[in-house]
Amino acid sequence: MIKVEHVTKKFVRYKNKREKEEFCADKDISFSANDGEIIGILGPNGAGKTTLLRMIAGILEPSEGKITFDKLNYKDNEIEIKKSIAYLSGNTKLYDTLSTYELLKMCSDIYGVNEQESKKRIEEISKVLKMDQFLYNKIENLSTGQTQKVNIARCLIHNPKYYILDEATTGLDIISSQIILDFIKKEREKGKTIIYSTHYMEEAENICDRVIMINKGRIIKSGTPSDIKKDTNTTNLRDAFFAMIGGVLDEE
Amino acid sequence: MRSNLFNILKKEIRELFRDKKSLAMMLVIPIFIPLLVVGMSALFESQVNKNVEEYNKIGFAYDMSDEEKNIASQMNISVVNGSEEELNKMYDDGEIDLYITKNENKYVINSDGSDNSTYSTSLMETYFNTYKQLLQQSYLQQNNIDPNEVLNIITVEENIVEQDNFFANYIKNYAFLFIIMAITVSATYPATDTTAGERERGTLETLLTFPIKSRDIIVGKFLGVSISSIVTGVISLILAIISLIISQDMFTIYEGIDIMYSFASIVFALVIIIAYSFFISGLCIAIASTSKTFKEAQSALTPLTFISLFPGMIAFMIGITTTPILSIVPFLNYTLIFTDINNGNIDVLNISLMAISTIIYITAVLAYIIKQYKSEKVLFAK
Repeated sequence: MIKVEHVTKKFVRYKNKREKEEFCADKDISFSANDGEIIGILGPNGAGKTTLLRMIAGILEPSEGKITFDKLNYKDNEIEIKKSIAYLSGNTKLYDTLSTYELLKMCSDIYGVNEQESKKRIEEISKVLKMDQFLYNKIENLSTGQTQKVNIARCLIHNPKYYILDEATTGLDIISSQIILDFIKKEREKGKTIIYSTHYMEEAENICDRVIMINKGRIIKSGTPSDIKKDTNTTNLRDAFFAMIGGVLDEE
Repeated sequence: MRSNLFNILKKEIRELFRDKKSLAMMLVIPIFIPLLVVGMSALFESQVNKNVEEYNKIGFAYDMSDEEKNIASQMNISVVNGSEEELNKMYDDGEIDLYITKNENKYVINSDGSDNSTYSTSLMETYFNTYKQLLQQSYLQQNNIDPNEVLNIITVEENIVEQDNFFANYIKNYAFLFIIMAITVSATYPATDTTAGERERGTLETLLTFPIKSRDIIVGKFLGVSISSIVTGVISLILAIISLIISQDMFTIYEGIDIMYSFASIVFALVIIIAYSFFISGLCIAIASTSKTFKEAQSALTPLTFISLFPGMIAFMIGITTTPILSIVPFLNYTLIFTDINNGNIDVLNISLMAISTIIYITAVLAYIIKQYKSEKVLFAK
């Protein structure tokens, strides 16, 4: 289980050329994600979704609050936690000069998967994601969809317990998006915990068990999609979101 | 599980050897060293053994005496007579190398101070000294005085105890100074690519999600860049020695100089190359890691190429020699000790001080970068 408790993230930004100011990207965020559950983090651009997921993935450090993975925290168990995580964002880039096989082998080495197991997993994943045709091609020569498949394969190689997916379908065509959505559903069935951020409300409604709506760094609503729709007297999450924020988006 | 430091090093080396620009920096830069050695040798050779016919066309804007004509003929001076205006025009047109004007007993050498006219001026100074001596001798003889008693009151003789070949030593020292520069250039590109480049390409975020200690990431990257620099340094050293040996057979300026290096000299030269490669790689990674983009990192690292050259050049110019204190001064120490080794002087104390100080500098630099990678600053730089 992933537990996020009263997490706040502050950054310093330039107010003008000379003056700096502190601003909160996330304010007092708390929620938990259970095993076999997909938690959707929803919100417009600049709401604080990426910062929150980066903190959960251990890339950023919270200014306040704590994040635990089955009671383990980053301060004392960084390597152990990172071994059980797969982080994939829409902006995740791969090493272009490596071939798909070399990248997957490098990842399995880094995650400590033994030689035999590594070979077996690359074969399996390659078969499932239909990557046989470009397994030995350099990543720089792959299409966007193929690259995203490699990204998913990279996440699967160490059989992680937790998936942190940040706008993983942004900018992809419907076929590539569907590959990711199918992958998320399959991993949930295996009992994995998935935290999935998106600004596509319909997508979240289809796959998430619970959603957390964020605006201006604060949680404005959380619950199952049906509960949220019921509470806001709306028929979809998009309308529910607008109902929560009063109908006007103010991007920060 | 294999060490993640090894995994990072493997990734860095694989990327380095597949990147055309990194390969070019690593392998092409050393090729300039033989060109430099042969080029400088040819230049100095042409200066030392310049043919008199290249600078002996002298204009005389007055009627020469028979004695002058005789001296000019003996010195192989090609005499051109004419008025001052005519000679001035010929000089401007490059038909003569300089011209002489005369006002009673005052002779004026007219030239523009260019390289060629310097040779001509020197020739004419010898000419006038000879002529002056001839006039003095004839005056003394006319007055019944023995010229030898007046003109040769004292005699000066030059006895060269040890042949010091200035030009050859100059080329040797500069060849080794350029090895230092080649190592610097070779380190800057991969150092930029492994830090600012990863940030710009968006792979740094991926790297930070891996279960790898910051120390392993940095040391892996550092070793990758160092290997690139060491390869450049070793190739440069081999090419420098080969080109010096070939130049020795081709040019007379190397006469009296022993180019062959002893085994110990080569081993210590390699020690300097490795030490400097580690030092410059660490420094380049530290500077590049504070830059947001590849371009910004390259701009920040460009001055290093000059900084690596200047202390050595200044040391050569003002004749600084290695001392234990100077052996711990970064940049200067590598050049000075390299020059010592080049000249056959191996001082183990100075080399040890250089090695120890390098280890201290590298440790401090790596500690700084690791601290950066432990914090989120590395994702955003500045």
